[in-house]
Amino acid sequence: MSWFNFSWQNFLFSFLALSFEGLPFVLYGSLLSGLIAAFVPSKVITGILPNNRILATLASGLLGILFPVCECGIVPVIRRLLNKGLPLSCAVTFMLASPIVNPIVAFSTFAAFRGQSPTLVMLTRIVIGYIVAVLVGLIAGTRKPEEILRSGVVGTPARKRLAFSLAPFIDNPKAGGLKEKSIGAIRLACEDFLDTSLYFILGAAVAATFNTAVDQQVILPLASSNTLSTAALMLFSAVLTLCSTSDAFIAATFASFPMVARIAFMVFGPMFDLKLFFLYSVLFKKRFVGSLAIGLFFIIGIICSLLLPFLYASYGF
Amino acid sequence: MRATVSRVGNAVTLIGLGLVLLSFYFTGRLDHYLHPQFRPYTLIAGFAFCFAGLVYGFVRSNVNCCVDGECLHSQAANPVRSLIACSVVLLPLVAGATFSRDGYDQQVVMNRGFVQDVNTLPIRSDISKANPPIPGSALGADIDETASANPADAPNAVPNATPATAGANAGPSNDEGSAQYLPIAPDGNIALEVTDLLYGESEESLRQLFADKTVEVIGQYLPGSGADQFKLVRMFIVCCAADARPLAVTVQAPAAMIASADMAWVRVIGRPEYTKNGDKSHVILKASKVEPTDPPAEAMLY
Repeated sequence: MSWFNFSWQNFLFSFLALSFEGLPFVLYGSLLSGLIAAFVPSKVITGILPNNRILATLASGLLGILFPVCECGIVPVIRRLLNKGLPLSCAVTFMLASPIVNPIVAFSTFAAFRGQSPTLVMLTRIVIGYIVAVLVGLIAGTRKPEEILRSGVVGTPARKRLAFSLAPFIDNPKAGGLKEKSIGAIRLACEDFLDTSLYFILGAAVAATFNTAVDQQVILPLASSNTLSTAALMLFSAVLTLCSTSDAFIAATFASFPMVARIAFMVFGPMFDLKLFFLYSVLFKKRFVGSLAIGLFFIIGIICSLLLPFLYASYGF
Repeated sequence: MRATVSRVGNAVTLIGLGLVLLSFYFTGRLDHYLHPQFRPYTLIAGFAFCFAGLVYGFVRSNVNCCVDGECLHSQAANPVRSLIACSVVLLPLVAGATFSRDGYDQQVVMNRGFVQDVNTLPIRSDISKANPPIPGSALGADIDETASANPADAPNAVPNATPATAGANAGPSNDEGSAQYLPIAPDGNIALEVTDLLYGESEESLRQLFADKTVEVIGQYLPGSGADQFKLVRMFIVCCAADARPLAVTVQAPAAMIASADMAWVRVIGRPEYTKNGDKSHVILKASKVEPTDPPAEAMLY
């Protein structure tokens, strides 16, 4: 029997199942992001951070709980916050943590892994995501902003060119009526959804092909090693470019792989993938973006393939 | 003009998505794809897509999505982007909805392999308690006790117990009184699922309960290793059909009785026989009748 046996019937069935399960969550995430953009002033975000840089970085990793923004929507938010004087370490931490440390992702992870220790998986994902984001944020904070950020990102006059858009609502919450804000929120959500769902559908198609056409016996040797499987799934997540609100549904189907590898998939993917490479390049210099990719790959790889199995074994999981 | 075309195109994509989700929900096709817990999300999303699409495309407003010069959606007013979104997001779903047969063929079963130990299947307790395959009372529980889908969770079932221990704790498992609570099919046979027979491989109390009983099991036909054998397959899902894992019971029947297409739904009437192989038991369903049947209301097991 060949290792690859593609069938349209199986592909369509699996593809539709993934789409029906994941697309609602992509929509809900986009809608919430749009509502926050329309109704929550950005000064609320900067105002709640402590003055101490380390404490502020630690707190930034938790901002996603209050302001759940997925990785697709985080870059313009970060750009706006950097403009308003948010420290670089806080911005990087918020950017990396928010797609993971937020209630929507926690809920979708719990839902996707139901029956597979969902609480443990959800907490592990959030804790590792938080630790990695803070670590990278603190490291980034040791560098001068001009070494990392592209020229013109800070202090750009763009934000002063206020069109009648959602941004003025953020800076001036009294501007615009409820109806206008709601329409703006829905439009922003629709734009975010259309951008994000393109990648989700492509990811679902690749996952459906993988799950139905590939003889699972073939990948067992790869899946039997924590290190190999973790590295493989992290690379896979970078290629799939899934949204963090729905990637757990894809990860949950990789039953042949160890749980630690699937957690690495769900931590690395929201922090770095092909789509984010282009989005990050809007803010950061290419050299930093490349370093970020390599650094995240090794930090998450070491935590998930070496430390996590040890911790799980220690606590009897 | 370009912006209007793009906006209407995107709105059509969103409304189309909503209609696909709603049609699957209201025609019942969604039942083949998702665990019951996820179906309400799809229903709500169907309406939300339609509403958002209508607002996005047809409500007049001067509100843009982002600040000028900082907009992440730089192609928002580009009709080509709108066309791409429609082609990538909506068309595959419409094509899938049109051509999908709402099920897998045998290739997926072969690729994934059968679950070797049914006790390793992930089952959430609240779902288990809501839809027990075997009533708890049939396992020796009181009438008002909550039953469990996993017999290992049943009040009087002892996981991994020796037969003697299990027999002592299983209470009335051999009692005719407990057997009366087993689900009965319209023709009077005991209606079981493939999972029930497989749980019996590790549960002495179930083996005793099923002993010398004529049972009726519905599943999908898959050719076996011999002319007088085939596999009765059911797919077990946790969230959606993408994570489906095949479960199978070996059925032994006269060759003349076995004449079904691969993965066709069949009803098997027969007696389960458990044979010991070391520490493990293995079930074979000795069939007295094999006949084609309609798919059950829920094609997947949860």
